[in-house]
Amino acid sequence: MSVFMDLNIISSNDKNRLKSIIETAAHLGYSTVAINYVVEPQQKKQEIPKPQSVSDIFDKFPIVQGKSSPIKVLNRLTIIASDASHFVSCIPTNEYKSFDLVAVYPKTEKLFHAACMTFDVDIICIAVAEKQPFHFKRAPVNGAIDRGVFFETCYAAAIRDTTMRRYTIANAISLMEVCKGKNIIVSSGAERPLELRGPYDIANLGLVFSLSEGDAKGAVSTNCRSVLLHGETRATASGVVYTMKKPKTPQKQEESPVSKKAKTELA
Amino acid sequence: MVRFKSRYLLCEVCVPDRSSLQLLEDRTIYNTLRAAVNRAHGDYGSALFNIGVIVKYLNAHTGVVLIRSRKKHYRLIWSALSFITCLENRGQKVQCFLNCLHVGGTIRTCQKFLVKYNRQQLHRMLPDCKTDAEKQEVRRAILSCSLSNVREEEADEDGSDDDGDEET
Repeated sequence: MSVFMDLNIISSNDKNRLKSIIETAAHLGYSTVAINYVVEPQQKKQEIPKPQSVSDIFDKFPIVQGKSSPIKVLNRLTIIASDASHFVSCIPTNEYKSFDLVAVYPKTEKLFHAACMTFDVDIICIAVAEKQPFHFKRAPVNGAIDRGVFFETCYAAAIRDTTMRRYTIANAISLMEVCKGKNIIVSSGAERPLELRGPYDIANLGLVFSLSEGDAKGAVSTNCRSVLLHGETRATASGVVYTMKKPKTPQKQEESPVSKKAKTELA
Repeated sequence: MVRFKSRYLLCEVCVPDRSSLQLLEDRTIYNTLRAAVNRAHGDYGSALFNIGVIVKYLNAHTGVVLIRSRKKHYRLIWSALSFITCLENRGQKVQCFLNCLHVGGTIRTCQKFLVKYNRQQLHRMLPDCKTDAEKQEVRRAILSCSLSNVREEEADEDGSDDDGDEET
């Protein structure tokens, strides 16, 4: 039984809705979920919302179906990028640090190329609700795969509306043709608990997106775990040295190789 | 050995409130599934649905459905399952989604899985029990889950789990 994760649950101000979504996710068998804060910067500098602390939502997290440990909830930021100026030099890394994962949703071809090659993000989102404005080229996609950046497809739009379904499937298939099924994650993008689906159902949906069976199952399990690790290493120095403040001495260096399970606390 | 091989999809209907589950019928699931397969895979899907698919079992209390299809085409039918958003039953629309628990080659394997799954569900209910009497009831139900009672009846599922309902 591998670990399944759903890395895109749209955040809302309604706590009860978030609670019911997370409970449904635990019932379906997801070990980790990530609450997604979507930001569309209009002006040059717009403030990035602070993620609400995870313990606000639940006193006691629901137990995952089939395991005995509670579900883990993370925070994630998605930036809808329509202009390159947001990212280039004035990267507000301090605010990004409070999020476990950072994603970008490029709207133009140049931004897509830049996001694949240079931006410091974990996930690149693929359009689901509209026709893809640009074609995927092999060069930036391969560059992203080498760097360890993942491409994400959301399936909630496909469930809501038939026209969206066509766009989702078309965009997903054109992405798979270019990247050959590597570095793909599939997540829900759910706004309500009824839009979630079980992990094996999504692995089957991967077949509709023309993924192979192993790739489809990996898109929900192992690739998601890689994304998490990538997010953790963003805070370290190329993933080799990880600093942690110990309570007695003010600063101590700790070596932790990234190939083994990273010693961190995702609180 | 020449044998008709089939795949049984064990699914669970998940609804926000359990009371709307009571009126479920297997014809409802069948019609909804047929419409979903038609929308997702067109005429080819409808044709495949007509030859092989049948709803074998439905439990309105727990929302468990057992769907049978041919071995060659079960993935197609399964992929259309995820797109179902509501079940329509005599004019009433129930918002729900189908979650596939297990794919088995025979009804017996699905039964065995279902007994194990229901036992897990009872374990999950145990921390939520408010009174001691409820706890005893749930523990007794867990201990009495077994496959031996259902060896004769092929279509009956749930082991001996009818008293361990999900409602706390």
